[in-house]
Amino acid sequence: MIILRLLKEKMVLAICATAALFAALMLVVIVGNIAIQALPSLSLYFLTTAESDTPRIGMAISNAIVGTFMISVCATILATPFAIGTAIYLQRYAPRNWLTQIIRFLIEVLSGTPSIVLGIFGLIFLVIFLRHYTGGFSLIAGSMALSMLILPVIERAAEDAIERVPHEWEDASYALGASKWATIRGITIPAGLSGIVTGAILGFGRAAEESAVVILTAGYSQFMPEWTVRASDKLAFGMKIYPVQDLVGTLPYSVYHAYENSNVIPMSNGFAAAFVLIMIVLIVNLSAKCILWRYGNG
Amino acid sequence: MNQSIDFPKIGFLAVSMLSILSVFLIFGFIFHTAAPVLAKEGFSFLTGTTWSYADHEYGVFTFIVTTLVMTAITLIIACPLSICTAVFLAEWAPAWMDRPISSMIELLVGIPSVVYGLFGFYILEKVFRYHIDPFIDATLGFIPIFADPTPNSGSGILLASSVLTIMILPTITALTREAMVKVSLDFREASLSLGATKWETIRKIVLPIAFPGILTAVILGLMRAMGETMAVVMLIGNVNSVPKSIFSDGVAMTSKILCDIGYYVSFPEPKSALFAIGAVLLLMEFLFVASIRLVGHYFGRKGLKP
Repeated sequence: MIILRLLKEKMVLAICATAALFAALMLVVIVGNIAIQALPSLSLYFLTTAESDTPRIGMAISNAIVGTFMISVCATILATPFAIGTAIYLQRYAPRNWLTQIIRFLIEVLSGTPSIVLGIFGLIFLVIFLRHYTGGFSLIAGSMALSMLILPVIERAAEDAIERVPHEWEDASYALGASKWATIRGITIPAGLSGIVTGAILGFGRAAEESAVVILTAGYSQFMPEWTVRASDKLAFGMKIYPVQDLVGTLPYSVYHAYENSNVIPMSNGFAAAFVLIMIVLIVNLSAKCILWRYGNG
Repeated sequence: MNQSIDFPKIGFLAVSMLSILSVFLIFGFIFHTAAPVLAKEGFSFLTGTTWSYADHEYGVFTFIVTTLVMTAITLIIACPLSICTAVFLAEWAPAWMDRPISSMIELLVGIPSVVYGLFGFYILEKVFRYHIDPFIDATLGFIPIFADPTPNSGSGILLASSVLTIMILPTITALTREAMVKVSLDFREASLSLGATKWETIRKIVLPIAFPGILTAVILGLMRAMGETMAVVMLIGNVNSVPKSIFSDGVAMTSKILCDIGYYVSFPEPKSALFAIGAVLLLMEFLFVASIRLVGHYFGRKGLKP
């Protein structure tokens, strides 16, 4: 009998090991396939020319690379203060009452909101309702919508980081007579900084990979973002600030564009844009992992 | 000691309030925009099967069914795969295997959904059209739900579900693994000392204790599959009908919104109708988040939470 039972165990082990290998190999299969398909289009010209400077659409992506970085950086800058503030409040100040429960619950709701719902919300609120301030489809509208998407990501990472700060350190600070705010400023935030930075980096990656929200709020532009201010009677204060209130092109949209116009744009161009996007997000995620691994406390 | 107003506390509370203000803004604007059509159609919005801008008739029944079927198939594939993976990683894999495999699975999260769509559309579609669809049709085709109504195309619900499986696999695997690792060593040792094999210990001790965590993981994966847009738009075929088989084309709730919003955003009634789909999605999501809370509460009270 024991042999039968051990045999059963070996069979389950084999099944589970196969599942794990299959899951891990998916990454290799997907990235490998995309790299192979992308190879014919990956040239310096493709990566460093703006789409507006090419004879046909979809032949270069440097404007989209720059746009992706700009929109993700803006979204991260907008979201991080709110995320850190909320995390500190929930971890160190919040009393155990209904209000705290509601805040936690609503942040979970925000983190589960389908991206298409955030996208149409951004469309109706940021692009249409606030068009005199955001300039309609624009970098700022896209960044604000994305910041709502990544706020829960950064908030959770920051909360984890603050939770890992040893209580003894804070107690020592209190014992020396420091106030709560002084302790948080002097001990908690510096000690949890690596985790907070990791959260911000993960938020950046999450913003860079999002497509539905960006399509509905940032629009697309073939031109390299420009840095200037021009008069405009459609916007508040009578001026349009480039690139903030201007359309911006992003990599996810380039990929979708290649899919939608597959009769005009060669397939490998879409894959090349996808490959660049994957590499950006993978490098960002890996560096977040490294920071946590190298400087992580606890 | 200064006992006056605690300014930092009020400041942090204000920041938290501003953060959750966005949730109210989202609900407010979505429901406000959706209100005209929701009020006009009433309950028949959920049960109606025709969606026609020309006839001013809006019913989301087919989209809801398609989304639910697609999510169900995704879970049927993803749950065994990711839970088995998690069991292997948490229980059997030595550290040198656990580390790289876990990291590789985690990195799958970082692949953008539009890239999954592209991968599915150009690469997996051919595999499904020439190999998987005909194979399942030939072996199980006598059961109607496994018959292939579109032999010349690989796209459809099964393709969308397969790609969604890869997308939600990291979520379910990581959270299940975490729930299993948390199960105390004492329980395992007690079981092993009674002569149970490792698998029997996992089956009878570890999995039941980790169950609330696994359930939460599955609900989170489900939410991600249900709310996914780009990959679904690119893979599901976009032909509206109640799905009859796992190979049928369909239109999911998310893909309906994305396909039509660009054109109809300037027409008040169609816009309102599309936002009403968003409102339904938002409500479903809200219920699932609440159910995760309930799972934690229910098992927490029973003392089963590790």
